[in-house]
Amino acid sequence: MERARKILIYGFLIGWLFAVALPMGWVLLNSLRSSQEFVQNPFGMPWLIGGIPADGLLEHDEIEEALRLSEVTPLDSIPHKKLAWLAEHFEEIDTDNNGALNAGTEFGDSPSTLDAKMIAIIEKAASRPLARSNAVENYRKAWVESHFSRFFFNSLWVTFWSLLGTLSLASMAAYVLARFEFRGSHVLFLFFVSGMMIPAQLLLTPVFFEFSWFSEVGTQLLQPFGLRFQLYDSHFGLIILYIALSLPFTILVLTGFFKSLPGALREAAILDGCNEYRVFWHVMLPLAKPGLITAGIFNFLGIWNEYIFALVFVNTPELKTLPLGLASVSIQAQYKTDFGLMFAGLVIVVVPTLLVYVLLQRRLTEGITMGALKG
Amino acid sequence: MSARSKEERRFIIVFLAPAFILFTTFVFLPAMRALLYSFQKWDGLGTPEWVGLANFVRLLRDDNIFLVALGHNLLLFGIAGGLTIALSLFFASLLSQKIRGASLFRIVFFFPNVIAMVAVALLWILLYSTTDFGVINALLGRVESAAVVVGLPLPDLDLPFPFLQSKYLIASIIPMIVWSATGFYMVLFLAGMGGIPKSYYEAARLEGATAWQQFWHITFPLLREILVVAVVFMMISLMKYFDPIWVMENEAPNRESHVLATLLYQKVFTEYDMGYASAVAVLLFLIVLGASAFSFAWSRKERIEY
Repeated sequence: MERARKILIYGFLIGWLFAVALPMGWVLLNSLRSSQEFVQNPFGMPWLIGGIPADGLLEHDEIEEALRLSEVTPLDSIPHKKLAWLAEHFEEIDTDNNGALNAGTEFGDSPSTLDAKMIAIIEKAASRPLARSNAVENYRKAWVESHFSRFFFNSLWVTFWSLLGTLSLASMAAYVLARFEFRGSHVLFLFFVSGMMIPAQLLLTPVFFEFSWFSEVGTQLLQPFGLRFQLYDSHFGLIILYIALSLPFTILVLTGFFKSLPGALREAAILDGCNEYRVFWHVMLPLAKPGLITAGIFNFLGIWNEYIFALVFVNTPELKTLPLGLASVSIQAQYKTDFGLMFAGLVIVVVPTLLVYVLLQRRLTEGITMGALKG
Repeated sequence: MSARSKEERRFIIVFLAPAFILFTTFVFLPAMRALLYSFQKWDGLGTPEWVGLANFVRLLRDDNIFLVALGHNLLLFGIAGGLTIALSLFFASLLSQKIRGASLFRIVFFFPNVIAMVAVALLWILLYSTTDFGVINALLGRVESAAVVVGLPLPDLDLPFPFLQSKYLIASIIPMIVWSATGFYMVLFLAGMGGIPKSYYEAARLEGATAWQQFWHITFPLLREILVVAVVFMMISLMKYFDPIWVMENEAPNRESHVLATLLYQKVFTEYDMGYASAVAVLLFLIVLGASAFSFAWSRKERIEY
């Protein structure tokens, strides 16, 4: 009875484990396969470098040999079996040429018409890029040709400054709100935290117009110095916005954290001759490190993965962040049926967050636990 | 409270001001501005014209696309949200027992939550693909042929099934939401269950209570506040739902696939109807606010003390 129950429990758990992990493994494997392979053999294993060719694809040297043979020898002198094999396999590869498609079926009937067709097919097959690609081809294409490298460093840049800004501004505000009571301090805390209730969509339109207004005024002010001030369609604007949007949650978390630190520390440090700034920097901030890390992970995930604000406030392709880049590349790739590229792009977007999560997951779950028990 | 020295006051102001200014300028004032827009007619260029409640009336009348989109949000909340909470509660209660490798399960179950929603959408676009490698269609094909062999009557699905067509999109998104959100809520519930004293369960076992009775009479009532938090959280996130639908519809959802956020986006950036869009946003905010206030009030009133 007890044993049966245990088996059932593990059955459910392992079932869900597979449901979660398999699609991700599938993405990883497919990112190593070429688009032609998907058509040929949807569920085959990827061709790793030097691996086994998938069924039904021609080796490069085979194509070359066929070409060479067709040039030097009349086609009917090629061994019958080999020719049949070639015809059959070319038929599979070539789908956009009707004549080529029929080559296999017509083979037995009229060898003379086959010659010309065969040569055409062989030449065509030889001129197209090789079906067999090495494992990193999709990544090279995504990283270089589809500018994922650009998107990646944009994301890194925006996320880094947003995180730094959020954590510094929020920890300063949270420290004051937690440690100094003054008239209105509680109202101010609620004012900040209420921002968590505001849906992002409410802000899209007004911020859009606010950005253009600020840019206009700023540019006029900076004109004497020959500078331009731009919030819309710039990383600076996006970073400012991400900081403002991350403040409510971060202040909530950090205020709770600063409140839990012993107050006697500050008094002791003041008696030792520290001023308030030094107390904050040298005493309180180091103690708040776990809280900063927890808030930092949540903000990292939120900002790295953010889509809708980036979609509205970034227009220039060179400024796009990863989610934006992934979305636009995926739309293009669907039309071109370049699935290998989509799989590789997915991996590039997902891996950094998974890495951060796996390294710091203890902090993250602790954060949720803390929130749940207090909430 | 003692009188503060001048230095201390300056310290407070210096430390609060940056956050205050940024938050006020880019979150609070724009939110107020949106409220103002919702009473105006404006195309984003000319002078706004005060129209009172006309935008809200248009929401409910016109072609009632607002209600259709709201219906989709509520459908997602009811079905996908409900399934997610049930499933995560189930897994949390499994993992709160003595299980070998519990932390491995917890870590992996949480994976989908750290992935960008855009990436989750793309992953499911590929899983749902009607081309040869679309795993879900391939699996359905296997099931269908197995059913034919065994002689089970199955409705004719006409594979490959176009999961991503507008008219099926909202339904197709449900498994995706459950897949991606379950881990987060499970961790939340696990935290709550960790706070319930083990002695309650021991006492119940001594009285001969079954596992189901223990869950229903101990875990569930004691977890109620966290459950309410989870439901509110789910509500907020599904009311704001945007990224996957936007990506899966190639940036052009229609009547069959709109949710509130996509409708709002389209009204602003393709139809330049600021008043209508802001009215949608304000209603979205009020729905979320109302639902959370109601839930919290209810959970406080019915609070159970053991």
